[in-house]
Amino acid sequence: MSALLLAESFAERGARERARALLDAQSFRELIGPFERLASPYLAAQGVVPQSDDGCVVARGTIGGKRACVVATDGRFLGGSVGEIGGAKIAGALELARRDAERGTPTRTVLALDTGGIRLQEANLGILAVTEICDAIVALRMLQPVVAVIAGRVGVYGGLSLSTALCSQIIVSEGARVGLNGPDVVETESGIEEMDSSDRPLIWRVTGGRMRFEQGFATALVADDVEAIRAAVQHAFEAPRELGPLEPQAFPDPRLDLDTFLRAMGIES
Amino acid sequence: MSSVRGRAWFERITGGAELVTGLPPSVLAADMTLDGHAVRVIAVVPDANARFPLARKGDVGIDEGFGVAHAVSGTPLKSAILAIVDVPGQAFGTREEAVGLQRALAASANAYIRARRGGHPVYALVVGKAISGAFLAHGLQAGWIGALDDPGIEVHVMSEAAVARVTRMERADITRLASEIPATARDIRSFATFGAIDRIFEVGNPDAPSDVDLEMVVRALAGALRTPELGLRNPRERLDRPGALQTRALARRVREELQAQWDA
Repeated sequence: MSALLLAESFAERGARERARALLDAQSFRELIGPFERLASPYLAAQGVVPQSDDGCVVARGTIGGKRACVVATDGRFLGGSVGEIGGAKIAGALELARRDAERGTPTRTVLALDTGGIRLQEANLGILAVTEICDAIVALRMLQPVVAVIAGRVGVYGGLSLSTALCSQIIVSEGARVGLNGPDVVETESGIEEMDSSDRPLIWRVTGGRMRFEQGFATALVADDVEAIRAAVQHAFEAPRELGPLEPQAFPDPRLDLDTFLRAMGIES
Repeated sequence: MSSVRGRAWFERITGGAELVTGLPPSVLAADMTLDGHAVRVIAVVPDANARFPLARKGDVGIDEGFGVAHAVSGTPLKSAILAIVDVPGQAFGTREEAVGLQRALAASANAYIRARRGGHPVYALVVGKAISGAFLAHGLQAGWIGALDDPGIEVHVMSEAAVARVTRMERADITRLASEIPATARDIRSFATFGAIDRIFEVGNPDAPSDVDLEMVVRALAGALRTPELGLRNPRERLDRPGALQTRALARRVREELQAQWDA
């Protein structure tokens, strides 16, 4: 074998291959796989071709030899957007993991999300699903770690970035972005003087993985490398280092010197 | 445009009860007794002087997300919580994204979930807009949700202009689809078909509730407060409501199949 091992990209893989990569070798078993053809009926009605897994893969297996479940969204299908089926897969897996934890057979749970947020073609169903996902993450987190991996081309935005922020540990790659409102949406809602969505350096400075790690919003910063991400996930379960709590602060938030922070970011305050 | 409804309903319901201190001016909270039940009422309102300019019209921004979280987690022992919802959006700005708006909104969602799961019944009354992340942060985690029946109420995930941009669809097509497919509709009656709304109120003046309007809503709230189990329900339980059996059949089927296949 060559001494020079090239990094294997995680971001270039699809959702199924990402889930497979995070589980122990040969342990991958998909639930409600594509052959069950559980696809969104709402997309076809709106002239969009659906996908037979709805852009969301749930897989059981083991991580570090322990029972595990990985849920991965497919950023290449409609921006990884979450509708009724994908949302129910994520929430349902979290609910079952909570049931397992209550029964004393804990399941290591990883959300490998790559998503622009709630699917606009199923908006109301998506927001209800995200409400359930948020509740299920917090409920599971009361009993065990809930680990998020944000290492795709899209990153996480919208309702799913709110959900992800509830996880106990977040592994983020330098190439991923984490924000609530995407650049296109900010520009449309508030004008180009507020955000120029073509200003890529600004967007990465403001929402890039490195920035989020430095802000303390992620527990690990990784390269786009399957082995590095696998190792970070294992580490997250073996040596849990919980994110700083989302504990509410008295107003004004003493942690935030807004003017200094914005100046450092090169943003007019 | 700034909305006046959140403040109007907050003031009418709390009847001048003393405000909780230590919150941003855009987050109102007061402890009261409603028909013998202790309840903390919380609203997000416009603040023309807010330090984040894009959060001045009643949107849920950085200070509002953490502020609501603070108000919720400070709820007195055994008190219920009532969220008055009139939130036109989540502050869409570069400053917000830099500071990390997703965490501010997560903080308030987290506070509501922990309060509800910790035994505080949580109720919400939608009196105005209930938009996207702002609604996720303030209202949607309630066990019981009431709403006014009024065209001024909008529930949606993204404005039509932004949807058009993201999906590259024509505005006219988006409007047409919203009238044909309830999942993409923006009115409260369509949203209610999915089983998340427990009660819809027809009021005379949603901007400035009359005594009659107020009495009807307060009587219904008192009824819901008498049954704390309603306010303690998890959002998952919405799937079992009569309407959801059909409208969310796929979400139910996914749960069943996941459970069947979970342990091979």
